[in-house]
Amino acid sequence: MAELVSLLQNLSNGLLIGGVYAMIGVGLTLIFGVMRTINFAHGDFVVMGMYTAFVFNMILGWDPYFSLLVALPAGFLMGVLLERVVLAPIVDKPHETSLLATLGISLIIGNALLLIFGGESKSVHVDYASMALSLGEVKISVILLIAGGVTALVIGGLYLLLHYTEFGRSIRATAENRLGAELVGINTRRIQGAVFGLGMMLAMTAGVALIPLLFATPTATGPILTLKAFVVIVLGGLGRVGAAVAGGLVLGMVEVMGAAYIASAYRDAYGLLFFLIILLFKPEGLFGRSVKRV
Amino acid sequence: MIRHLIGLLVLLVAGLVYPWIFPSALTVGVTILLFAGWATAWDILGGWAGQVSLGHASFVGIGAYFVAIGATEYALAPWWSILMAIAVAALLSLAWGRLTFKLHGPYFTLSTIAIAEILRLIAINEDWLTGGATGVFIDWMPTPFGIDLFAREAQYYLALVFAVGVMATIIWISRSRFGYQLRAVREDENSAMAAGIDPTRTKLKAFMLSASLTAVGGGIYGMMLSFLEPHILFYLLLSVQIALTGIIGGRGTIWGPLVGAVLLVSAGEIFRTSFAEANLLIYGILILLVILFLPSGIIGEFNRRLTRRLYARRAQG
Repeated sequence: MAELVSLLQNLSNGLLIGGVYAMIGVGLTLIFGVMRTINFAHGDFVVMGMYTAFVFNMILGWDPYFSLLVALPAGFLMGVLLERVVLAPIVDKPHETSLLATLGISLIIGNALLLIFGGESKSVHVDYASMALSLGEVKISVILLIAGGVTALVIGGLYLLLHYTEFGRSIRATAENRLGAELVGINTRRIQGAVFGLGMMLAMTAGVALIPLLFATPTATGPILTLKAFVVIVLGGLGRVGAAVAGGLVLGMVEVMGAAYIASAYRDAYGLLFFLIILLFKPEGLFGRSVKRV
Repeated sequence: MIRHLIGLLVLLVAGLVYPWIFPSALTVGVTILLFAGWATAWDILGGWAGQVSLGHASFVGIGAYFVAIGATEYALAPWWSILMAIAVAALLSLAWGRLTFKLHGPYFTLSTIAIAEILRLIAINEDWLTGGATGVFIDWMPTPFGIDLFAREAQYYLALVFAVGVMATIIWISRSRFGYQLRAVREDENSAMAAGIDPTRTKLKAFMLSASLTAVGGGIYGMMLSFLEPHILFYLLLSVQIALTGIIGGRGTIWGPLVGAVLLVSAGEIFRTSFAEANLLIYGILILLVILFLPSGIIGEFNRRLTRRLYARRAQG
């Protein structure tokens, strides 16, 4: 009986953590699908979201979720700006080029945060941090539940945007075939800018949702989250939003289960190992048809 | 060829003169030489064979840890430990390459990060192997011919030999059959195959050479640090630093990585007071500038302009 409870407990934790991973991965896969850019700064965008929540909490005493009001538009605008200045000029270069450029952005963001806020880890304390919902003997952390809810909301919104608006249709067309999209009159440059903005916005939202849960350290947290996001999108199959959600859930499960039943010190290694195996033996992803779709 | 050998001689002389001019900046000198050697070794795979690795810190870590564990546990002299590290690095890169060389471009790069991270987690968690997260302190070194290997000066000359050795290797490669094979594979694997070159074999050779040389530098680095921590030595950011040094200087050029090392390490020193630990900021800014304005790196762009001027002059007269 106790084993069943702990299994259920691990399952629910894995599911909810996986939901947050999914939200990080969705932005990354959207950017990859439309721009074919390997965005190495994605984790640092998440960290920027964390710091936004931290700053507004420190100065104005805002609840972290309230700072989404600032993080959303700021993330979108910064993303559009970054795309225009750094990525648009190199859009037709080999893929490594965009990886190195975003690696540069990642180093700049991480070290700028280090310079401004110092090296110690930051978090936001909220009153409901230690609260948990009891379902029988299984306890579900309220923060994780909220994070899961935000994820569901954001991904649902994204789905509606992609499938029921003209803008979403243009995004999907650009992802499928950039030249074809241009031929039917879509301004793909503008779409790429908007998609990068959207991706950064999603990453910052994930950061805000994560801050009561996780410590943010300027140069260390970003690359770890970037790696996790890559694991998520490669697990699912590159370039597809639905697959990223599934990939996030799988990664959450693999981590929690591996930590619980094999060895907790290697928690981060399970995801990476899984990632390598998928990359080498099933590069189209666990659920994959070929790439190309958003 | 003659030009490059003269360049090598100039580097050797400059390296020998440096301790007389800047006796107080020996540590900076060692760092520059190590990074020059690492970035050049990285470039064999990253520039000449065109496979961008972000996992070379693993080989630095292997070199450093062999020297440290060898000295503290088995009273083994560093030259023997470094020989063993070379063998292990070569074997590891052989297995690593066999596994991942079917991936191309950014996917290969991502896989190197994943493997290096797994190795780092192993180094942190397996106490019996590495002494674990608390680190290892080197408390003994042999004194060959009465030379104190803990002295910064001795380490400086070792690093100089290392850097010059790696540079000599790359000069030799640039004119050897192997070097042409590397470039052929980088430009187009299918055409290379059509010309009778086995791309995977060529890339494996490049990776093994690159990894072994990096491990040698790692051994010297271990002596210099004398206190080793796995989460720093095997860390992604060290891999990033090595790769960016090569790319900013100029991928696939002979002198680019050296120029990158001099530029980045001294810039890091100059801004140390104002940026403190945030000195990787310079790497970030420079890599963006290089990608946007000098896509083939500093020396690559210099070579391109030089060639263009040469042709222009020839066309005129």
